[in-house]
Amino acid sequence: MMSEEDVEPVQAVFNEKGGAGAARRLDDAAHRRLTHLLLGKTLAELIFVSALALAFYFAAFPPSYRGWGEATARGIEGWAVNDRSPWQRVEVYLFVDGRFVARQTADLSRPDVRAAGFAADEWHGYAFSLPALEGGEHEASVYAVHGSGEGARYTLQLLGNPVRFRVEAGGAVTAPDAGARR
Amino acid sequence: MLTQQHSYNEASEGLRAERALAAWEIASVTASFLIAAWLVLPFAGNNKLIRAIPITIAFIFMIASHRAHKESAREVGWRVDNLPEALRMLLLPTLCTIVLILLLGWWLGSLRLEWSQLRPRFLWLPAWGLLQQYVMQGFVNRRAQIIWGKGWPGILLVGAIFAVLHLPNLWLTVATFAGGLILAYVYQRVPNLLALALAHGLVSLLLVSTLPTTALHSMRVGFKFFQ
Repeated sequence: MMSEEDVEPVQAVFNEKGGAGAARRLDDAAHRRLTHLLLGKTLAELIFVSALALAFYFAAFPPSYRGWGEATARGIEGWAVNDRSPWQRVEVYLFVDGRFVARQTADLSRPDVRAAGFAADEWHGYAFSLPALEGGEHEASVYAVHGSGEGARYTLQLLGNPVRFRVEAGGAVTAPDAGARR
Repeated sequence: MLTQQHSYNEASEGLRAERALAAWEIASVTASFLIAAWLVLPFAGNNKLIRAIPITIAFIFMIASHRAHKESAREVGWRVDNLPEALRMLLLPTLCTIVLILLLGWWLGSLRLEWSQLRPRFLWLPAWGLLQQYVMQGFVNRRAQIIWGKGWPGILLVGAIFAVLHLPNLWLTVATFAGGLILAYVYQRVPNLLALALAHGLVSLLLVSTLPTTALHSMRVGFKFFQ
């Protein structure tokens, strides 16, 4: 064990540098207590941030939207259902070639969706008209919009796969494939 | 002789450990405020109760740390006996800052020094300044002094941390870095939190009444800046 006299030279340097003016030297017990406190604080904050992140993930990205889309002569048509709330009318956004085109609420009649057991009622269809597009291949993506945090944030969830379609010289729309179910 | 050398080494080791602990304390408290500023809002929205959690943890820790270090409130700077001396020391830099801000506001054409422009919430600025100065000087500055003693390394650290906590608000980041240096310098000489809070509140009030509102972005910092 050190006597106070032994510590004196080091303490003198500490004092000279202003350390003692700021805080006295910690004794071993206080040092240990403070270390434990810091570990506890770090752990508490780790748990806090993890809980925040998990709660955020499940609130912002609920894996509960299902839908399907296809290119028809009239545009992009399909349906969207929120499995967690099957009576809810889902808001959907249409993007063509990565650009936002239109939004609407999927509330058109789709008896086939109800018959297949995907929804509690038939009012889950959507039908987007396409804007004037250059001839050639294009890709349409339909997203379900999910609001969370009391409207503080909105996330988009892709419904099915992107729909590839072709605009012919006369403006007619043809579809090489017909979307995919999710 | 050998025993003395051994004792010296042991004491030196103790000081190193204490300095490391002080650095950890600074990092830990800074992290708490960064969590409140950057993580709570995007994850939990405008929920003030949730935002208060990391801040409360930080304050509980700081009080416990003062107890462990056997620091009295007076030592930390909650005192009035040296208030006149601290105010005297702050007078010149505060006046210079005020003149600089007024000139900047005049040059940018954004001076709004009218009573009608003062909102009731601005009255909270000195109280808010007191809390900030307690954290930055009463805690960070004191722990920095354990690491380096009095002097520029500690002052620069306080300025840098004060600035980082105001990111990404560019004007506030620059202002708090400069202000942090001055206040840390004064605190190391005359530790008085009330004087610092007064200067902090006055300059903040002048900033919001002088600089363009678009530039200050309603004094928002952290993730809230993007709202």
